[in-house]
Amino acid sequence: MKHKLQALAVLLLYGVVKLPLEQHVTRDLRAHGMLQEPIRLGVGEDLGQAGIAASLGGLRGLAACIFQLRAHVEFTYVNWAKVDSLYKLVTRLQPRNSRYWEEAAWHMAYNAASYYLYNQELKPALRGQLYHDHVKRGVAILEEGLRFLPRNPRLWEKLAEIHAKRTYQFKDAGDAYWHSFQNGGLNYTERFAAYAYAQSNDHGSWQKGYAILKRLYDAKNATPGLIEFLKLLEEHLHIPAAQRIPEAAPVRQMPPPEEGPLR
Amino acid sequence: MSDATTSSAAAKTPKVRFSPQRVWTMAMATVTQLIRMKILAFLVLFCLLAVGAGFAFSVINPEQQLSLLKSVTLGALQIFSIVIGVVSTALLLPKDLEDRTLYTILSKPVPRFDYLLGKLIGVLMLIGGGLIVMDAVLSLILWMRQSLLFDEAVEHLRMEKMDSTEAVTQVREIVAKQGLTWNLHWAVWAIFLKATVVTTVALLLSSIASSTLFTIVIAFCVTIIGHGEALIREFFFTPNLSGMTGRAAALLLAAICPDLAQFDIVDSVVNGEIVPWAAVLNMTSIAAIYMTVCLFITHLVFAEKEL
Repeated sequence: MKHKLQALAVLLLYGVVKLPLEQHVTRDLRAHGMLQEPIRLGVGEDLGQAGIAASLGGLRGLAACIFQLRAHVEFTYVNWAKVDSLYKLVTRLQPRNSRYWEEAAWHMAYNAASYYLYNQELKPALRGQLYHDHVKRGVAILEEGLRFLPRNPRLWEKLAEIHAKRTYQFKDAGDAYWHSFQNGGLNYTERFAAYAYAQSNDHGSWQKGYAILKRLYDAKNATPGLIEFLKLLEEHLHIPAAQRIPEAAPVRQMPPPEEGPLR
Repeated sequence: MSDATTSSAAAKTPKVRFSPQRVWTMAMATVTQLIRMKILAFLVLFCLLAVGAGFAFSVINPEQQLSLLKSVTLGALQIFSIVIGVVSTALLLPKDLEDRTLYTILSKPVPRFDYLLGKLIGVLMLIGGGLIVMDAVLSLILWMRQSLLFDEAVEHLRMEKMDSTEAVTQVREIVAKQGLTWNLHWAVWAIFLKATVVTTVALLLSSIASSTLFTIVIAFCVTIIGHGEALIREFFFTPNLSGMTGRAAALLLAAICPDLAQFDIVDSVVNGEIVPWAAVLNMTSIAAIYMTVCLFITHLVFAEKEL
């Protein structure tokens, strides 16, 4: 009996002493990026029992993989609502994995949007509406992902691509490419930021684009595309002839960007 | 006269000291006992799973395939180590009692602590050995898959005429980040540490309980609560979140259960994060503390247990 009481006393004493130690170790591991923050369960979010159990059981990654495979199956059945809801679970379980945000946005902004755009069974107005809605959903997914991973160059680049190729918001595309470059994106993202700025309707963006392209040109990093957009910006900004680049490449008349289907 | 003889005999009985050799013998006997229970059949199942996961899902891109392979196999390793740890520990003491092996051992000059430690080390050796084999299989498959996927991705870029140096470098970086690195072995080490803590808790429960089922059920309950212990602890440390009763209950629960979420670095490793030495040291130290205290408490309980 004496030993049992001793055991109980040791258990309780150790239990109280270990708490601050555990708190310290957990904080350290989170600071090193080894442990994830506790999962955020939003009200009304359809996170199943299995997901919750996995989030507590250290099998979040495995559960996320399973949901991702289920989403892939639904993708083959073009069941976009299910794809979206499954990817929502995946990104909740693994919010620091950029790949999942990227895929979720790609499915919505490209696959689902194109599916509705070219679906002959739907009325044209509805097709346009659904196209725009899904592109917007793709943008929203990436923006949410960037709240978890604000320094991820790939997510910025994907957001820029959607703005440049789908929403035709060239100023936003330029900003996103620029963020990608600033956070370690590949070299071309800097050029692409300037190209997007050049295609916008905003004077401030033209100046930003011109500054980037001129700097690259002066650093002898000129490509045919760079010269073409630099000439375009010289026109837009009415740069004096003396300050223009010597290349006399004809400025190609660019067709106005496609507006996309009507709502 | 009789009392005097007994007390004099007791006084003359030399105290049996702790013997590492004896503990080692007990551990080896435990490993043999567990192998005879065909526990290692799980290894074959794991190898098949790893090979299957490695070459399935070819429609997904290289990064996804490697990540999926790691997630599935490391998840299987976690399940393997915890289930083996809990079940084998819960089975050992009752089986020794049933076979009367325990009486044979303890009737010899073997301290109960040596017996307990020998059993624990035996189970941990089996789990550790299994994890080493599975880590080797996983590393081999990952390395093979990584090389194949890189070649395929470069070939694809070449066909699309997009094989610029920058693009190939990026593919190489992505594949290398998701491929075989030292971090994978640290993830396996973290899984082993978690299994060690769970096994020690199961041994403590086994020394208290009278049935195997009770030990298994309670050990799994502690494992599940242990993964959420950080939430309970933060609930306790956050003032004004609940009344005194709620906080007292949280304190009791957090005090009893070890924080198993501290060993959950698998997700970060799958995401390609680099495991720093400080994190490894932190996890190893806290596991050693849990193990030492738990074993000491088990010794206190088992020393007085009527067999």
